[in-house]
Amino acid sequence: MKRRLASAPFSVAPPSDSALADQALGVVLALLVDLDGAAGILVASADGVQLAHGGRLHGDPERLAAMASSVAALSDTAGRETGIGSPRCTVIESNDGRLVVRGMPLRDRAVVVAVLTGRDLPLDRVSHSMAAAEARAALQRG
Amino acid sequence: MNDFKIVFTGPPGVGKSTAIAALSDTPPVRTEVRNADASLGPTHTTVALDFGQVDLGRGQSARLFGTPGQARFEFMWRIVAADAAGVVILIDNSRVDPLGEFVAYLEAYRDLLPQMTFVAGIVRTEVCRQPSADDYVQQLTSRGLAFPVLEVDVRRRDDVQVMVDMLLTKVRSRL
Repeated sequence: MKRRLASAPFSVAPPSDSALADQALGVVLALLVDLDGAAGILVASADGVQLAHGGRLHGDPERLAAMASSVAALSDTAGRETGIGSPRCTVIESNDGRLVVRGMPLRDRAVVVAVLTGRDLPLDRVSHSMAAAEARAALQRG
Repeated sequence: MNDFKIVFTGPPGVGKSTAIAALSDTPPVRTEVRNADASLGPTHTTVALDFGQVDLGRGQSARLFGTPGQARFEFMWRIVAADAAGVVILIDNSRVDPLGEFVAYLEAYRDLLPQMTFVAGIVRTEVCRQPSADDYVQQLTSRGLAFPVLEVDVRRRDDVQVMVDMLLTKVRSRL
């Protein structure tokens, strides 16, 4: 059973590490504020388990969590194999929108953050907001 | 056909990445991350795919692809299996319900079974003798299916090679 905040479009999965789930929700909320709510946000563990999501997400968050994990892992492997290093983010740009995926540490665990937006939201703004979210998470980690 | 695409699939922790690493002539491409579910066994788990290559001799080669094991990655199973010549289903005999997992994979690949060549590799039979290979064959027979079921140690290149050779013999006979 998912824990759902009353009348809010947010959801937190019930992982064994509830502090991790709370921080994941914090990332979701901060990104929604940063991006004026014009996006769907999802945080998943690196192995594809949904931790928290919110905003305008299309489709099943559980499936998106697994897909975001696959995308992040493929990007990381491609960066390593081609010698360009760890990717800062991966962008899937389509006719009607973008999916931006970024890996980051959260409470010393590797997580994947996915932001789903329309084409009207500038990509650099999304990238900046995701980098800021990672910086905030690093500060909380101390 | 001189180049064959072969897919290794099966539950998490069964040894798909190990099998590909054992046979591949080149260091495999891996997409492993730390496994958050300790009950699955290995510390790391594949979340997208594995990829290796092997020279079969006589100008023939095979590209070896591995799928993620967890059911939440089922979308990758289809992507990875597209245009494959054959599929290896690996099942861990030491798990709680290996026959049930075998049946689940037969269901997952049900629409591909008539058009692709399959073999099954049963691992860790030295730890758990039952169910037997005959039990797996019986599951196939009851579904009107027939393909080889082998006991294998995926850490041994020779074992994986035998399984792939058997698969490719059947693939070539269908060409």
